[in-house]
Amino acid sequence: MLEGTPLKITFELAAVTTVLLFFVSIPLAFWLSSSRSKVKPIIETLVSMPLVLPPTVLGFYFLLAFSPSNSFGQWLDEWLGIQLIFSFPGLVIASMVYSLPFMVHPIQSGLASLPTSIKEASYLMGKSRYTTLYKILLPNIKSSLLTGIVLSFAHTVGEFGVVLMIGGNIPGETRVASIAIYDQVEALNYGAANFYSMVLFAITFSILLLVYLVNGGYLKKFWR
Amino acid sequence: MNKVKGVISGIEVSGSLSLVSVHCGRIVLKSIIIDTPDTLDYLVQGADVELLFKETEVVIAKPGPLDISLQNRIPATVFSIAKGELLSSLVLKSELGKLESIISTAAVMQLKLEPGTAVQAMVKLNEMMLSPC
Amino acid sequence: MITAELKKKLWSAQGGMELDLQFELGTGESLTLYGDSGAGKTSTLRMLAGLLPPDSGRIVVHGETWYDADKNIDLPPQKRDIGFVFQDYALFPNLTARQNLAFGLRRGEAEDFLEELIEISGLGELQHKKPGQLSGGQQQRVALARALIRKPKLLLLDEPMSALDHQMRNQLQDFLLDAQNRYRFTVILVSHDLGEVIKLSDRVAVLESGLICKEGSPAEVFMQHKISGKFQFSGRILHIQQEEVVWIITLLIATNVVKVVVSENESRELQVGDQVVVASKAFNPILNKV
Repeated sequence: MLEGTPLKITFELAAVTTVLLFFVSIPLAFWLSSSRSKVKPIIETLVSMPLVLPPTVLGFYFLLAFSPSNSFGQWLDEWLGIQLIFSFPGLVIASMVYSLPFMVHPIQSGLASLPTSIKEASYLMGKSRYTTLYKILLPNIKSSLLTGIVLSFAHTVGEFGVVLMIGGNIPGETRVASIAIYDQVEALNYGAANFYSMVLFAITFSILLLVYLVNGGYLKKFWR
Repeated sequence: MNKVKGVISGIEVSGSLSLVSVHCGRIVLKSIIIDTPDTLDYLVQGADVELLFKETEVVIAKPGPLDISLQNRIPATVFSIAKGELLSSLVLKSELGKLESIISTAAVMQLKLEPGTAVQAMVKLNEMMLSPC
Repeated sequence: MITAELKKKLWSAQGGMELDLQFELGTGESLTLYGDSGAGKTSTLRMLAGLLPPDSGRIVVHGETWYDADKNIDLPPQKRDIGFVFQDYALFPNLTARQNLAFGLRRGEAEDFLEELIEISGLGELQHKKPGQLSGGQQQRVALARALIRKPKLLLLDEPMSALDHQMRNQLQDFLLDAQNRYRFTVILVSHDLGEVIKLSDRVAVLESGLICKEGSPAEVFMQHKISGKFQFSGRILHIQQEEVVWIITLLIATNVVKVVVSENESRELQVGDQVVVASKAFNPILNKV
């Protein structure tokens, strides 16, 4: 049985995660690139943790935290009516945490690569941190932003462990393509597994290729 | 650069030029400058000044009356001579202290200058610079 | 009137250094901070601009306290009325020359002054180019004009002309003098170039490892004596050579190489690279019409 829903959920999840992550990561990356606070190394470490931690560890703790038997999960359920466990919103939050370094790191290093004097010049022209960030700094690190967006998107498309732990495997709700592939292989449906795999392969390849073309300046002549 | 200390004893002003007389002990040296007491704060009677002039601008003559335009004349004796092929450097002793003069080696020979020779050192008044001290 | 007392412990490759400065500057005056690199000149500008917090001290500009350690006052850079020209120009690469200037306009502010600045800085034809398309000198002009767009009370320049050739420097120095005449702002400049210091500043403060070791007019600071000679230039020694009993000193004055003969005694005090004042009487040089 071949169906498109897992692919649809995969890309929906990747899109929502990427958009939300973009807006969360910009202030975070700005703070990390300019702060001299003592807690900065701790925050940096936490942001990078998903890179090295097995996704199942993250998934496990999310499972505990979001579970309605837990006081936090209970509070969410009672006061906001949100069930994060085995649901799409829960998947989104877990994916955001999981893909955080892929968005934050490129933006942070992009901001750090700009001369500090640009930021200072803007401050001295009476502009707030907010205006400086949006009018001056971000427009000058477009390629870093693109890298962050695409890496986060591609990484979310490819996640497995977290999704399996927190989302379960509910068809049409939380069953994403990577899990569907696993299911189909277990059921010895190699044709269906191959279909999902090919689509994921082709799409992530195209996306990454596009990034390298754009950031490498190969497409510039088409823009002018 | 030769430096001689003195006291301003006379200032004649004409337009923007001043002819400044400076008493250095018993000797009076004169300097012409493009400044007046209005443009140069230390240009007043009685002010302590230094006269600066280049070694190469010091003319050497044997003692005695000369029909020559140079009015700044300082009696001195030759203290030492360093001879080059073309130029020689003379250190002179005078009542104004040590002075240096650079003249041609040919002139040293012609005047038969050697340590102990009495001479007069002469400097044109437009070669004298003033400096406060 | 600007009063500044600044104390700050600075760390550099050579170790720690205590910066301890006090100076006053009248409205419309120009002060140059002069000294070796690492003497604390740039740090001083940054403290005035609010980009580097002093350890203690006070900054009062036209009666307004910008910084007072005792009273816990520390205005952010945004609230200090400052134009700053950075050593690297710090132009915004994503904006055109005109947009770089316009970025400093207050909300709803008319563009008359912007037009005027573009006019007097000669940026008319370049205004729609981005910094990347401009030469060093052109970028410098944009940076200078941009620093003036908010009509600052105080203009700070951090070795602004160091990367430019001589002719370009001259043009910009003239532009700066002209702008200062028009808008009457106070200038604090960091410079290594003696000619620039003499041309642009009313007063010079020489910094040596964090302290002002000499202060006064450029003439007082750089000329040991106020020599009456009218034929005076500042230059740098390129070469020293002995010829018989005299020494021939080759000097760079502006773009000209000249030679001066000195005695052995004087030559002992001179080294290649020294900045010197060349003085002669106005009676000596001859002029040849070309």
